[in-house]
Amino acid sequence: MAYQELIKHFERIRSYMREFYVYGFRSRDQYGEKSARSYDNERRRIESWLGGYLSFHQDPSGKRVFLSVDSRVIPRNPLYKAFKAKSFTNTDILLHFYLLDLLADGNLCSVRELIDGMQDHYLSRFPGAVSPDESTVRKKLKEYERLGLLRSEKHGQELRYQRTDDTPFPLESWTDALAFFSEEDPLGVIGSFLMDRQEEPSDLFRFKHHYILHALDSDVLCELLLAMEAHRTVELTVRNVHSSREVRRTVCPLKIYISTQSGRQYLLGHAYMGGQLVFVRLDAIRTVKAGAVEPQYETYLAAQQALDGHLWGVSGNTRRTLDHLEMTIRYAPWEEYIPQRLQREKRHGSVQILDEQTCRFTADVYDAMELLPWLRTFIGRIVELRCSDPAVVERFQQDLERMAALYGGDARAVQ
Amino acid sequence: MLFSEIYGSYFNVVAAILTEASDGPLTPQRLTAIVQEKAFGESTLSIPAALKSGEWPLLDGELRSVLRHPPTMPLTLLQKRWLKALLSDPRIALFTPDTTGLEDVEPLYRPDTFVRFDQYHDGDPYGDADYIARFQTIREALHTKRRLLVRFHSKNGALHTLPCTPYRLEYSSKDDKFRLLAVRQRRLYTLNLARICSCELLEPYDPADFTLPQVQRKRLTLLLHNERNGLERVLLHFSHFEKETRKLEPHLYQITLWYDPTDEPEVLIRVLSFGPVLEVQEPEAFRQALQTRIRTQLTMLDHPE
Repeated sequence: MAYQELIKHFERIRSYMREFYVYGFRSRDQYGEKSARSYDNERRRIESWLGGYLSFHQDPSGKRVFLSVDSRVIPRNPLYKAFKAKSFTNTDILLHFYLLDLLADGNLCSVRELIDGMQDHYLSRFPGAVSPDESTVRKKLKEYERLGLLRSEKHGQELRYQRTDDTPFPLESWTDALAFFSEEDPLGVIGSFLMDRQEEPSDLFRFKHHYILHALDSDVLCELLLAMEAHRTVELTVRNVHSSREVRRTVCPLKIYISTQSGRQYLLGHAYMGGQLVFVRLDAIRTVKAGAVEPQYETYLAAQQALDGHLWGVSGNTRRTLDHLEMTIRYAPWEEYIPQRLQREKRHGSVQILDEQTCRFTADVYDAMELLPWLRTFIGRIVELRCSDPAVVERFQQDLERMAALYGGDARAVQ
Repeated sequence: MLFSEIYGSYFNVVAAILTEASDGPLTPQRLTAIVQEKAFGESTLSIPAALKSGEWPLLDGELRSVLRHPPTMPLTLLQKRWLKALLSDPRIALFTPDTTGLEDVEPLYRPDTFVRFDQYHDGDPYGDADYIARFQTIREALHTKRRLLVRFHSKNGALHTLPCTPYRLEYSSKDDKFRLLAVRQRRLYTLNLARICSCELLEPYDPADFTLPQVQRKRLTLLLHNERNGLERVLLHFSHFEKETRKLEPHLYQITLWYDPTDEPEVLIRVLSFGPVLEVQEPEAFRQALQTRIRTQLTMLDHPE
């Protein structure tokens, strides 16, 4: 089939865009199971959509393509463009503009009137043009009703259709809010669709620490939110990020956990197999199918709230005993920002000021190993580190020795 | 659900073409120009041809719209539900949009649906009337291209006055803070909104005279020793920077990224957080700063007081 700029299915392009954006060091023949032609087509599409952000690097083993964006200097997430590349048929575009135009005066029309209207007003101008058949028109009207573009009323045996915008929506008053939330909200792609309708969208904002990759998981997130609002279970197809193996899991979705420091998003849900709360990365979810309404939704939600009070991150550790951790920090008198940092970043932990140069951070969490990256940010200031799980302190010390070795320092053992 | 042609670039571009073609016939050049301006890079290969050939019977032979009205589309239910959800976000107080049309709409999600578990605790006071007023004054200055007189407290509490030209409002989700980016005498200032105590509109300025000072970004080269899924963790964590990654050996990668020099202390502790998975190659001063921190730490644990 000849190359097309638009695509029918999202999954393959989702995978390529992620590869180019996160990794970007593989050459064409290192894209595993995907064929060379598939690679060429997807690369060409991404170049067409995101031209300015695609870079190339040539070395002896081949050409490497990568997406590189300093998200602090751009007003809009370029990855949203992938959601604006859905293919359609000639009939789809014809019906879209004809039906909305025929109903633009606010009138109610039957299917027959709409078909006749299309023929009389538009198609008669094109010799040989054929009006879509009645069942195709009916299907499109039902689809647009589901989307909320149209509403229907029954008149006798006949359904009559009308547009839902009897009064224009005041979108202009949302201009700045759209510019902000289209980037900041987890489902900002919807704001981006709304901004596309505006002649002069706002350009007031920039974003620091701005992770944009989640955009590619927007469809998955949207399906989960709809299920959560209706308290429905979901059947997920989840792909292991490392092995590519796919598994099915049925869960009751409860919350979406978001890391503002890596951009990763996780579903927290009650898993029916095993009967416990589990985290599932959104970028690993391939499909979401809504199931039945869960009568015990509130019970599962209460379990989530109890768990949350002792979570540091999103560890899947199912032990239900708490680790107690204490870190004592020393800082200079002019380094007031250190205790301020602790207060700001402590999550569910607590901070005690011991004297004017010393303070102690304490936390009781399900998995203290999760604190290690954060603890390391205080390297050079830690007077004492204690944890009820000795493996945590041991790992900290071993890593410190290895870091000392990397930087040519003294790699002796820490007592 | 979201992946639908009704939100797509092609439908938007065709709507723009039909809008312009409802006022009078388009020239083929203008038709192509609209596609070039609003669609994807290669869309000029398909959209003009489909419209001119009658494959999409929407323009007549003179490239005039066959529709009776300029095309419009109601908001979808999903769009309305998303907007309704925003009304429960405390930051919506900064914008005061007209909520007409959302009265009977269910929100797409609730305020507590999302848990930003590692967001800092000292976010901006979005419910504070004075903060909202200052935010709106800055918005007005940005929209009307007027200069500002800003009074703010520095980190050490001293009060400063800065006449400046506002450039943008910058938000960080990690900090949950807005900052004003403003220029004065070819220098870019970054001021925390929560530290600004007053904002006054000054005279209008000519946007043609405005020049954004260029920040000379610094380059950081890292070696990544891939263990404990370090490759993915590191690349995601630093993904918001402009960066390039090369594979040197099966478990060894080189990452080059560019950062704002004023963020160096933050970048340094972010590198530290990855422990022995990341090693700074250059700049040398950055490497030495890490070396000092590590040596100090070894001494502190060797000789506890």
